[in-house]
Amino acid sequence: MTAPLPNPGKKYDLDFARWVYDNVNGGDKMALCMQCGVCSGSCPIGTNMDHGPRKLFMMIRAGMQEAVMTSNTPANCTSCYRCVVRCPRSVPVTYILQDLLAKQAELGYRAKDSNENIAFAKSFWWSARAFGRTDERLVTAKYYWSFGPAEFWKRSMENLKIALGFIKKGRMHIGMPHSVKDKKGLKAILDKAREIESRG
Amino acid sequence: MPVDGKEAGPASQTILVVGGGIAGISAALEAAETGHDVVLLEKGPSLGGRVSKLNRYFPKLCHPTCGLEINYQRIRKNPRLKVLTMCEPTNVAGSRGAFTVTVKRHPRFVNEKCTSCGDCAAATETMVPNPFNYGLDKVKAAYLPNEHAMPMRYVIAPEAIAEGEGDKLKAACKYGAVEPEQQEETFDLNVGAIIWATGWQPYDPNNLDVYSYSHSPDIITNVEMERLAAHDGPTQGKIVRPSNGEPAKKVALIQCAGSRDNNHLAYCSRICCLGSLKHAAYVREQYADAEVDIYYIDIRAHDKLESFYQKVKADPQVRFVKSKPGHIRVGEDGRPFIHGERTIDREVYDEPYDLIVLATGMQPSAVAGYTPQVGLVKDDYGFVVPKELEDNEGIFSCGVAAGPLDVSLSVQSATAAALKAVQAVRQSA
Repeated sequence: MTAPLPNPGKKYDLDFARWVYDNVNGGDKMALCMQCGVCSGSCPIGTNMDHGPRKLFMMIRAGMQEAVMTSNTPANCTSCYRCVVRCPRSVPVTYILQDLLAKQAELGYRAKDSNENIAFAKSFWWSARAFGRTDERLVTAKYYWSFGPAEFWKRSMENLKIALGFIKKGRMHIGMPHSVKDKKGLKAILDKAREIESRG
Repeated sequence: MPVDGKEAGPASQTILVVGGGIAGISAALEAAETGHDVVLLEKGPSLGGRVSKLNRYFPKLCHPTCGLEINYQRIRKNPRLKVLTMCEPTNVAGSRGAFTVTVKRHPRFVNEKCTSCGDCAAATETMVPNPFNYGLDKVKAAYLPNEHAMPMRYVIAPEAIAEGEGDKLKAACKYGAVEPEQQEETFDLNVGAIIWATGWQPYDPNNLDVYSYSHSPDIITNVEMERLAAHDGPTQGKIVRPSNGEPAKKVALIQCAGSRDNNHLAYCSRICCLGSLKHAAYVREQYADAEVDIYYIDIRAHDKLESFYQKVKADPQVRFVKSKPGHIRVGEDGRPFIHGERTIDREVYDEPYDLIVLATGMQPSAVAGYTPQVGLVKDDYGFVVPKELEDNEGIFSCGVAAGPLDVSLSVQSATAAALKAVQAVRQSA
């Protein structure tokens, strides 16, 4: 246990914390956090995060804007809600992380190591927009392709056996991708949503 | 006699104290020693409450017989104090100076002729979970509540009577003390003021499902740890793993198991931090090579006992881990593993232990217990809010019935409640 000693001379910039409290969904509740660590300790992929929710909240309080906005912690959240269920102070950890992720993108920050997440999100939305469905073959293929032909080939070969297994068990269909009936209508809905969002 | 308090009538100067734990005993004695008649009701077969079930208690780490024996002597010497065991109130009516309290008396099946010779225990074959040891072991269905019981008298569990052993036990007693024909009875008491000292119950660890209490016998609560360490407990004071009886040499103590948690008890139970520091001391006294890890949010060594915290902290074999664990799982070797994040260095751990003690908090008994008709006001957590004198209600509370207090604060609040009750009955005279 090596806790760094408090430095009374250090000045903290509270502007960023106040901005988070006021602008991030659930941010006002973040003030209740007592740093017990049950969120990071319960997180199934907490070891993949650079900071984990508890530390990220402390960094927000400490005014570490740059580090928070480039953290991969929000992008890695899988929204399993374990932290929300277990938080003794009822802090909506998942909502805060989700909205922080949106704010990172909105304000032009790019979380480090987030290329994979962005590539996957783009592939997913491409399929959702084109068919109103996620076709796992096309999403996966597009996702792999975004890392270049060599990587596409390598990753596809690695997963070939799994894909064949899926097909054998009837878990992955072969043929044209499934689609919603009114693709035009779906696109109109999504365009309208984007327009409403851009109004702010 | 009018019970609504509106009609004129002789006002009662008797004070009723409900609950025979350390707070109730103190309040009853303080009031009786000022010359008032006091009735002390205890639901169980013996006085002493939670304190009697501790191994040692603060501030001086005495054995509970120490403090309780002095109080028992004061009770024996005081003709104004009437102790009724196996009794609980079921209804309260009336107002200050003229309460009518309906009391239910559970059958003890043993009368005052008992000399606690133990012949009935020898005669019975029925075994029941031992309530004194929180059911960690079993006891003969005719038993002495504990070795320093007050009154020093046996009690027969209803299970033995249901098994048809009544006549056999009656025949075994050469003093005519066994009365299998006893029935539950109700009677009324007329009193002038009431002090609620109904105490607490340990928060149910089964509600903390992520801590897997029901999945391993090696995950116990802090009150069970007291019994494990006590010489009259299920293991004669040896701190061992309940699963296999081997010495518990790697022990984890988890703080705030339920307390300070919006999903469970939203308040700090106040006693658990020092309780766990004491448990660390118990383990280290027994095993020179033992390691104890205390998982905490922050240590709240309440009252004047910061020095005890410093003493335990100086022990290199006691580690303080600043972390509220995420969950406990039972490993393949049967040992429980604690999983969580150390908040100081952000390391995620998954540690096996011989024994895990959950420092569950205190929940007021009044939550699930009594629902009298008048006068009783509870706060959001179930603690009894005392009606102050200016309300002229004549109803008070002390000890953990009033809030999460340790022993010395309970005794202080009991003395305060006794004084207020005395003033209440005097004013109505």
